[in-house]
Amino acid sequence: LTEGSERPLKPSGVRVDSDAVLVAVLRWTLAAALLACGLTACGSGHTEAAATTTVQVKEKDFRIVVTPSRARAGLVEFVVKNHGPDDHELIVVRARNAKLPMRHDGMTIDEAALEPRTVATLEPDGPGTTRRIRVQLSRGRYELFCNMAGHYMGGMHAFLVVS
Amino acid sequence: VSRPTRAFAPLSSRGRRPVAAILATFALSSALSVGISIWSTSHSQHQAAVFQIAARQRTLAERYVSEVLIARAGGRADPGAIGGALERSAAVLLDGGQAPAIAGDDDETMLAAQHGAVARPQLEQARRLVHDLAATGAAILRHEPVARIRPTAHERLPADPLLRLRVLAALASNVSLNAARSIAVADDRNISDLITLQVVLGVAGLLLSLVLGWALIRTTRRQTAHFRSLVTSSTDHVIVFGRGGCRYVSGSVCRMTGLSEEELLASGILDAVHRDDRDAVWAAAETGEPHELVFRAWDAAGACHHLEAHVTDLRHDRQIRGVVFNARDVTERLRLEEELLRQAFHDSLTGLPNRALFRDRLEHALARAGRSGETHAVLLVDLDGFKQVNDSLGHDAGDALLTDVASRFEETLRASDTVARLGGDEFAILLEDADERQARQAADRVLASLRNEPAVVAGRELGLSASIGIVTDAGGAACGEALLRDADIAMYAAKEGGRGRYEVFRAELARDLGELLGIEHELRLALDRGEFTLHYQPTIDLASSRVVGLEALLRWRSPTRGNVPPARFIAVAERTGLIVELGAFVLREACTQAAAWRREFPDARPPVTWVNVSVRQLTAGGFDATVRSVLAETGLPADLLGLEITETVLVESGSGGERARTELEALHADGVRIAIDDFGVGFSSLGQLRHFPIDLIKVDRSFVQGSETGTTDATITKNLIGLAHALEVVALAEGIESHAQLHALRELGCDQAQGFLFAQPAPPAEIRGLLARGSIAADASDAADAVA
Repeated sequence: LTEGSERPLKPSGVRVDSDAVLVAVLRWTLAAALLACGLTACGSGHTEAAATTTVQVKEKDFRIVVTPSRARAGLVEFVVKNHGPDDHELIVVRARNAKLPMRHDGMTIDEAALEPRTVATLEPDGPGTTRRIRVQLSRGRYELFCNMAGHYMGGMHAFLVVS
Repeated sequence: VSRPTRAFAPLSSRGRRPVAAILATFALSSALSVGISIWSTSHSQHQAAVFQIAARQRTLAERYVSEVLIARAGGRADPGAIGGALERSAAVLLDGGQAPAIAGDDDETMLAAQHGAVARPQLEQARRLVHDLAATGAAILRHEPVARIRPTAHERLPADPLLRLRVLAALASNVSLNAARSIAVADDRNISDLITLQVVLGVAGLLLSLVLGWALIRTTRRQTAHFRSLVTSSTDHVIVFGRGGCRYVSGSVCRMTGLSEEELLASGILDAVHRDDRDAVWAAAETGEPHELVFRAWDAAGACHHLEAHVTDLRHDRQIRGVVFNARDVTERLRLEEELLRQAFHDSLTGLPNRALFRDRLEHALARAGRSGETHAVLLVDLDGFKQVNDSLGHDAGDALLTDVASRFEETLRASDTVARLGGDEFAILLEDADERQARQAADRVLASLRNEPAVVAGRELGLSASIGIVTDAGGAACGEALLRDADIAMYAAKEGGRGRYEVFRAELARDLGELLGIEHELRLALDRGEFTLHYQPTIDLASSRVVGLEALLRWRSPTRGNVPPARFIAVAERTGLIVELGAFVLREACTQAAAWRREFPDARPPVTWVNVSVRQLTAGGFDATVRSVLAETGLPADLLGLEITETVLVESGSGGERARTELEALHADGVRIAIDDFGVGFSSLGQLRHFPIDLIKVDRSFVQGSETGTTDATITKNLIGLAHALEVVALAEGIESHAQLHALRELGCDQAQGFLFAQPAPPAEIRGLLARGSIAADASDAADAVA
């Protein structure tokens, strides 16, 4: 019934591809090195902070809360946190007066039609994750929504005004 | 306190621990790997079921929407059943249990409760959504407003009931699938971790096993080296024989033989073995028997070593496959044993067999004689005068003499004869297969070997002689003890018979000896009990009739035998050696008496007390010291003591005779007078007589008593008196019993006289009266007549 909201599922079972094992081993052996790198990288990034507006985007079943709901035009960083319990994605589009176009199922947004005015897309991710994305936003209204099956209709959409 | 530990335990006990650890490590890591695989496999199978049920929820939700639409439109549908299945499935997915079967589509599947941190909230959300879906569907079917149903999952739904129903179905199926996906992702992550753990475990187990194995190998090597060095540095010899001869020799064998290992292997080892022992060694090497073997081997220097080998048959031991010799050099031990044996049965001075060995050989010979009928002879040899040599020249000289004599015996006798030293100067000779005639010949040869050449000891030449007793077992059935006793009796008889000769044992000898020994025993008792007394016989100066001397004469009054004549017991005392003690008694007694009389009658010219001295007394040695001590004790002046000796003293050969003369000369120098007793019957050498210090010659009574009738005796007496005068000594005539004899002697110019005519030997009490008178009253008239 829905499309775009589904991703190919990994086949379950014992078969585990060797990359995963390799990655795991590497993760174990290089843990110390990564930790050290992480510590040194901690204090950087303040030079751009003044020019960037950070917008906290809180996603949960089934609501999107944008704080603040207004931002200055320019570089905007969305800090997207999924509070679950379901997986959620985030799509940011420039809003118009008309309602967003729906697919013919009448339940999900037609992303293809919105392609020209889509400014940011974050693929679905599990609860508890935080992702960041930076976009150059000009003045105007922007709509943020999750287009997984039923999520938009269930209430997961919000606006950000850039001035 | 630390427990003492063994430096090197055999590997069999010490090596178990590392081996066990290796095995345990492998077993543990394998068990873990297999366990993890089994667990993850079953888990994954379970997750597949979960996924299947979750996927079915989507289908069910879509069918539920369709059924509700159909039912609302009046079609035949049963949305309630589908809704119930949806709700039950959602509950089972969350908390576990048996998933409902849908119209035979599925088998009944058992699920476990979900506890994943991500999956469980999602499944809870899915259940809420399913609940809302079912409630909304039910409201639509009942034509009730859906707005009255409060959403439980925070969803904000559109007002249109159908759209609301569809949105809820999409949400429910979407959340279910996401939950299933979360489970799968978590599962993948778990499996990755498990596989990583498995790899780590495998690698760690392998490394640990390698370390343990390395430690085991190291320990093994060290122990092997240790035991090898123990074997190679040991002085014990280890030789292993297998197929093809010797297969291993320890370093000690190489060191001893001076041969290299290559030279010793195979049959090379036999070159080092004594020719006579090669067969025994080879047999032991092939059979493993006997377990103990002593064989001789040559060392690098060509010396012979006795090796004592413990033979162990390890041919069935797969590690050895051979016969092992553990050999030890026992040369020194055997030598010591031999030496101890030799010492136990040989005389250390002469190297001759000792009494024990002689007795042993004698018994063996007698045992053989009992079977073969042959006879054996035993010679018991006692050196004459050995005691004197020992006393005068010292024990070293005595030992040298014995060694000399032993070698003479060995040279003289056959190799088959046994010469043994029984002790002191007593030797025994066993002549095997010899009769009495051969024994006599052997005794002659022995005596000749001693007599022919004097022994040179301590720079002096000593004439040798021996007394030999011969006994044969011709009578048969004799035992060694009896033979030696008989030989001893015969030897004693030979000694009594005049020394330097042999005597063959006869039964009479034993009887004679028995009597002799009986009297000797009584004499000793008599001496102890004081049964001996002294009588004194005066000697008269013929010119003045004065008593000039008193001869002390021994008397024995035995409580059992009565008065025993001196001729009887003096001879026995001479033969048994008791004369030495008797003589000492006489000397002391006479001197004491003389000293007493002298104090009683302080005459201006007291008589000289004469004491008879035996040859044995003189040759025993130390006589001069005895005389001096007696004189000192009694206070008798030396010139009032006279010693009567026989002519044999002058001719006594050997060291004893020489010493006797030396001592007499010394005493004479002190003033002691010396007389030759029984002059004329002996074998005096005039030359010796001339040089020997003599004061008086007593002419034997046999000449005196014949001088009144026989012209020959008268002539001899005259000459003897003349000889005395020529030597410037006093002549005394013994045994004067008649006036005719007295008259004749006066005619012949004799100085002094002694005899019954003047006085018989008398006890001290009578002599005291005589001394009080000063002269012989009884024959004063005769004497006066003679003078007239």
